Amino acid sequence: MKRALLALALIAAPFAVILVALGHGPLAVPAGDLLRALAGGGTAEAELALSLRLPRIVTALLVGGGVAGAGAAFQIIFRNPLVAPDLLGVSAGAGFGAAAAIVAGLGMLVVQGAAFAGGLAAAGLALLCARLARGGDPRLSLVLCGIVTGALASALLALMLFIAEPYAQLPALTYWLLGSFSRATAGELWIAAAPIASGLALLLALGFRLDLLALGDEQARSLGLNAPAFRRAAIAGATLSTSAAVAISGVIGWIGLLAPHGARLIVGSRANLLLPASIWLGALFALIVDRLSLAFGPAEVPAGLLAAGVGAPLFLVLFVSTSRSGR
Amino acid sequence: MSGLVARGLVVGRGGFRAGPFDLALAPSALVAVIGPNGSGKTSLLKTLAGLLAPLAGMVEVPGTPAYLPPPGSIAAEFSVLHLVALGRAAKRGWSPRLVAEDREAARIALAQAGIATLADAVFSRLSSGQQQLVLIARLIVQEAPVCLLDEPTAMLDPAQTARIDRLVETLAASGRIVVVSTHRLDFAARCGFVVTVGDPPRVGTPAEILRPDTLAGLYGGAATSCPACGQVSVVNSDA
Repeated sequence: MKRALLALALIAAPFAVILVALGHGPLAVPAGDLLRALAGGGTAEAELALSLRLPRIVTALLVGGGVAGAGAAFQIIFRNPLVAPDLLGVSAGAGFGAAAAIVAGLGMLVVQGAAFAGGLAAAGLALLCARLARGGDPRLSLVLCGIVTGALASALLALMLFIAEPYAQLPALTYWLLGSFSRATAGELWIAAAPIASGLALLLALGFRLDLLALGDEQARSLGLNAPAFRRAAIAGATLSTSAAVAISGVIGWIGLLAPHGARLIVGSRANLLLPASIWLGALFALIVDRLSLAFGPAEVPAGLLAAGVGAPLFLVLFVSTSRSGR
Repeated sequence: MSGLVARGLVVGRGGFRAGPFDLALAPSALVAVIGPNGSGKTSLLKTLAGLLAPLAGMVEVPGTPAYLPPPGSIAAEFSVLHLVALGRAAKRGWSPRLVAEDREAARIALAQAGIATLADAVFSRLSSGQQQLVLIARLIVQEAPVCLLDEPTAMLDPAQTARIDRLVETLAASGRIVVVSTHRLDFAARCGFVVTVGDPPRVGTPAEILRPDTLAGLYGGAATSCPACGQVSVVNSDA
């Protein structure tokens, strides 16, 4: 009963946060006007608030849901609750891609495209290395290769920071790396929306097969599943979604680690429940972080910074309470 | 369902090998695989399951064989009912979810295994004996024509051991080919065939294999047979 109430509250929460986020700020709009504007006929103020604030809210929803779904899938198939969605070096790869584009003086759209390509390239390299290192536990090889490509991409990113022009490029680069949901305009959102949606759709389509992968390769194969092929599909979905999220928002950590943990407490470990619940919680968490980033005076606090600042203590609370209740 | 055939099958990995094995097993066969620790029983079972590639020879198995590792090897945070229902994964084609029919089959199998009350328990919090019963219930819903069980009663108490022995015999009686690796010679004596993983490997009926001379050669100790019951046991030659 208590759990059902909590679930109901969490299902309703994003809608409430969205209404607050749309209506508050220098241009305050009542909720009723906003709802009418969303339905297609509101006041000019409400229309303006929507056009200004909606892209940012959609970005937060996409990024939060995207990395949380990817994190849940990775935690399931690697049987490791500490695994984050950038396990295969995606964040560092995307960071390098974006940095290279900023240093080359290219526009925001290209920066996001380069980040996406960099993330995919890092994950692809990790997968390729793991394929070369045959024998042994394939999951362990993947984690090790992810650490290697992540370190390589981090070194290249540091090189970009080193050679960046210090007065315009370096601040832009640093700000990009800190993460924000405010970058995309409505017209640019598709860059992230399409890959995130297709990555998550692929993961959801795998369904209970993720549970089989969680049992290990031998058990999965004994139950008739082509484990390596399905693991590659799951990694592809999670990587696509994570890369696109990093491309549009910069490096925003913790959501992909935290949301699946919270979701597991509420719905348990079955992929068919855990994935949607993680996506929902991740989207909610990102929305809240985005609201908080605007709450501290006129200057916006980077969302990546807040996500870690809120996420790390929250994770600790979750961890302590779950280990006490023995779950 | 057709039979399991192995010809000149050599198994092993990483420089270690065992064999060659020649097997021809018909449906309902119950086979015990015996041999010292490290002799290659697990490698033989995993090769028959298709999880290890044969080093030489051939093996033909009908359908997808099911391999069960020793008790306590599988970690899963799922409910018992879900874990058993996952045994029917292969029947779901491309659908992302299991259906009510799968859960119903799982309930029936849990009842058969005598653990219907555990349906909602979390698998990882059960004792290793209960976990083993759950996994055997999964073999029942999986309908795999070949079941390969790796020391299914290792570390279990006598009562759980007896329950699992009975279920394993039921699996074979339902038409499956059941191959069990074991150190329990009393269980081997109840099987249709016994395979020794030694040098050379031998295949025969319990009466042919479970003899003091064969066992002494296999385990490297002295073997005696009980004058009253005829059961063979191995005693350490150093004693």
